[in-house]
Amino acid sequence: MMNIPCPFCGSRNEAEFAFGGPVKPDRPDPNTVSEGEWVAYLTQVPNPLGPVQERWWHVKGCGMWLTIWRDTRTHDIVEGPADAE
Amino acid sequence: MLYDVQIDRLPCFALFDLKGPATDLAAWADVLPAFAKPANTLTRQNGVDLCFTGPDRWILRADIAREDALIAALRPEKAPPEISITRVSDTLTFFRITGPDAAQVMSIGCPLDLHDSAFGPDAVSYSEFFGLKALVMRCEGGFDCAVEQSFGDMVADYLSRATA
Ligand SMILES: [Zn+2]
Repeated sequence: MMNIPCPFCGSRNEAEFAFGGPVKPDRPDPNTVSEGEWVAYLTQVPNPLGPVQERWWHVKGCGMWLTIWRDTRTHDIVEGPADAE
Repeated sequence: MLYDVQIDRLPCFALFDLKGPATDLAAWADVLPAFAKPANTLTRQNGVDLCFTGPDRWILRADIAREDALIAALRPEKAPPEISITRVSDTLTFFRITGPDAAQVMSIGCPLDLHDSAFGPDAVSYSEFFGLKALVMRCEGGFDCAVEQSFGDMVADYLSRATA
């Protein structure tokens, strides 16, 4: 189990959160990128071996959405939301 | 009994879900207790609890006998657009868990750190209880824990099994 830092509640058990998926890159303009880049944007989900930026929803807590960097090898939260405790 | 606890299912409370900036809510309704500053704490005044449960999010709790008077004072349907006041009295079922082992029993279903140092006398928070979203706060000698009312019978069963 991870403890996830919430900007409102402080450190809370992962069980109180819903996973919102990795943060995807900004949507490119389909008219200016190559077909390959567009297909990559549509189909590829960030899944690095190492730190990944993720969205989490404190759905069973205060209801806030937050963004963290989690290391997929260790589950360490290497960077929390800017204003979390 | 494995645990030295008393578990009571409480009668319905008058409950209101308040949304919006504290200053706007306070300006609208002068019956409200002072708005708590620290997150996940509550203030009490004349038997009314005002729980600060999320950003611009509050739960007001009082005896059910005061529901009509609170509706008259809060005027939910006339609230200005920057705030919202919704009566939610019948949406939550409260369990009161008291006694020497109250924290032990809470810890079976709730991941919160409920030690005095982390969860003080005025603490309140939404969390999880047996996998369900729940509102948790302290009461005299233990804890009040509220789940969505449709899960009330199920949670009563969980608690009786957990403490049998
Ligand atoms: Zn939170």
